[in-house]
Amino acid sequence: MTATEPREGRIPDPIDLDAAEEARLRTAAGIAPAVATAAGAEYAGFEMVGIPDRPPQTERERELFTVDEGEMLVNMGPQHPSTHGVMRLLLKVRSEVVTDLDVVLGYLHRGIEKLCENATYTTVLTYVDPMDYLSSMHNEHAPALAFEKLYGIEAPPRAQYIRALVVELNRVFSHGLMMGFLALDMGGITPILYGFINRDEIVEMLASISGQRMLFNFFRVGGVNWDVNDEFLSRLGTWHSKQLRSIRDNEALLTENEIFRARTQKMGIISREQAIQLGVTGPNLRASGVPFDVRKAHPYAPYAELEFDVITQQAGDVYARYIQRIDELKQSMHLIEQIMDKMPHGPVQAQVPGIIRPRPGRAYAAIESPRGLYSVYAISDGGPNPYRFRMRDPSLISLQVMPTLMPGHLIADTMAIMASLDPVMGGVDK
Amino acid sequence: MRLLTERFADAAPTLWTDEDTVEITIPGAGAADALRTLRDDPELDFWMLADAAAVDYGPTERFEVVYHLYSDRHPAWLRVRATVSRADPRLPTITQLWSGAGFHEREMFDMMGIVFEGNRDLRRLYMSPDYRSFPQRKDFLLPDDAADSPAAGVNPLERPETWDLTRFAALGPLNPLADAGAPTDASAVVADPAGEQPEPSPVGAGQTDASRSRPR
Repeated sequence: MTATEPREGRIPDPIDLDAAEEARLRTAAGIAPAVATAAGAEYAGFEMVGIPDRPPQTERERELFTVDEGEMLVNMGPQHPSTHGVMRLLLKVRSEVVTDLDVVLGYLHRGIEKLCENATYTTVLTYVDPMDYLSSMHNEHAPALAFEKLYGIEAPPRAQYIRALVVELNRVFSHGLMMGFLALDMGGITPILYGFINRDEIVEMLASISGQRMLFNFFRVGGVNWDVNDEFLSRLGTWHSKQLRSIRDNEALLTENEIFRARTQKMGIISREQAIQLGVTGPNLRASGVPFDVRKAHPYAPYAELEFDVITQQAGDVYARYIQRIDELKQSMHLIEQIMDKMPHGPVQAQVPGIIRPRPGRAYAAIESPRGLYSVYAISDGGPNPYRFRMRDPSLISLQVMPTLMPGHLIADTMAIMASLDPVMGGVDK
Repeated sequence: MRLLTERFADAAPTLWTDEDTVEITIPGAGAADALRTLRDDPELDFWMLADAAAVDYGPTERFEVVYHLYSDRHPAWLRVRATVSRADPRLPTITQLWSGAGFHEREMFDMMGIVFEGNRDLRRLYMSPDYRSFPQRKDFLLPDDAADSPAAGVNPLERPETWDLTRFAALGPLNPLADAGAPTDASAVVADPAGEQPEPSPVGAGQTDASRSRPR
């Protein structure tokens, strides 16, 4: 039985066409003829709907859509609540066990790189905000560094410290939310509420310095938009005094929880070699035991002057990635204390013209975002907008692990494993 | 730096550095071998692929696939620029070195139309499978932001080379494209082989609503 033939005994759908008419329309529209569904298309009374009505385009796609007896394709998303945005997972399952998986992207693609190539250097920093919307400050940081390198200027020391302060605050709420989402995807509703309470305090704080709650638009080429103000400092003081205790409280909900540990330990293990091979970066890489952190490897200002550790875990499973986030949170708190102690006085913005025209050249700037290595490669041709603006988003590469990681796990664990990789679709789809 | 000049004697004149990047330019066909040397040579030891991106240097120029590599042993990022001809954009894949390059290569294929030979999964990543353009090429112009470009006002999905111009041939002096100097014979039309051309819309008999498909 082909996918398009009306089934015997079923009321024909008005959309079902007779075969000749369909073939004619397909030829007219230039679409290939429908392919017959593979064996095992009908299983336990379900009709196979996942197979596209075109020949497979690649070897991998053929492999994916070859369904053996007893296997079936299950579509997850793009509107699944646990997919952290609009993304589709195509699971090939044998009863409850996932045997293969494909990640289908593009539902949130806005072409930000192309937009940025048509914007001036100053306005690029507003376009990149909605990319990875849980780390907007980091999104602005890398382009700002790249453009400064292109233009041959450096932000004043105070601006560099303010930058480090806001990106560390951003990292704190991003990691806090990841812990919440991980629990939420496994059915625990409480931690996400604490995560959002914490996030709200931080975004209010950042709003008092930048004027916006989510898409901050705070960085400028050659500095930051505003100096710290009294409201920001008082909010920061209040938040900081209770933050360490609230991390401990949130952690107490999950870390020692019997069910949480049973569902996360020895689950979704990425080995050290696999992690390097697959290009995973950030907390996910460090949870597999590779001590790579851009802040240490290629320190950008002012991280060379600050003291912090690159923490690693050895297990590489979901639980290790969770513990890794908590440890990094504590490191961020340590960094924030140092930044507040060491912050110099002075201007927060270097002198730059309204329309920046760097000399022709190329610049690469990488930063450590909460999800890993976030880098920008910018090319200038001497004009007012970047000739090429390329962003490498870590979430995209983290997601690529899924087809390697998932086979052998249960459907219910898909969400836990995905949440532990912490992808943000705004960044994945650019 | 010294190691690079030893290992890549041909490419030595293209070495270039800035404050934290070393750059080397190689022909695209040798990219995979060069990257294998860079990764496996114990003295070079660039174990991490930080980025892989494509750059379009304009319709008359070339493509470049730019790899950024990281190593603990060296204080700088290494940038490998592999040049690819624009007429025949083909390059060996590096998924056998870093399987993490798979999504990068799919993105480059999707956005620039560069074909990576040997990649098992070279599908479009973001755009739908039946999409036919390569949006990040420089000759793909945005209608609104490129207001001062020659293509201002042209809907990029309705590119002139895909129009069925034969339908205007019967119009004679009313032909909207005659004064623009555009070719009116069907042989000049670069059409897709699959023929995704719109049917002429049934406006009144003998009349064609020329304002619909005309550049504003």
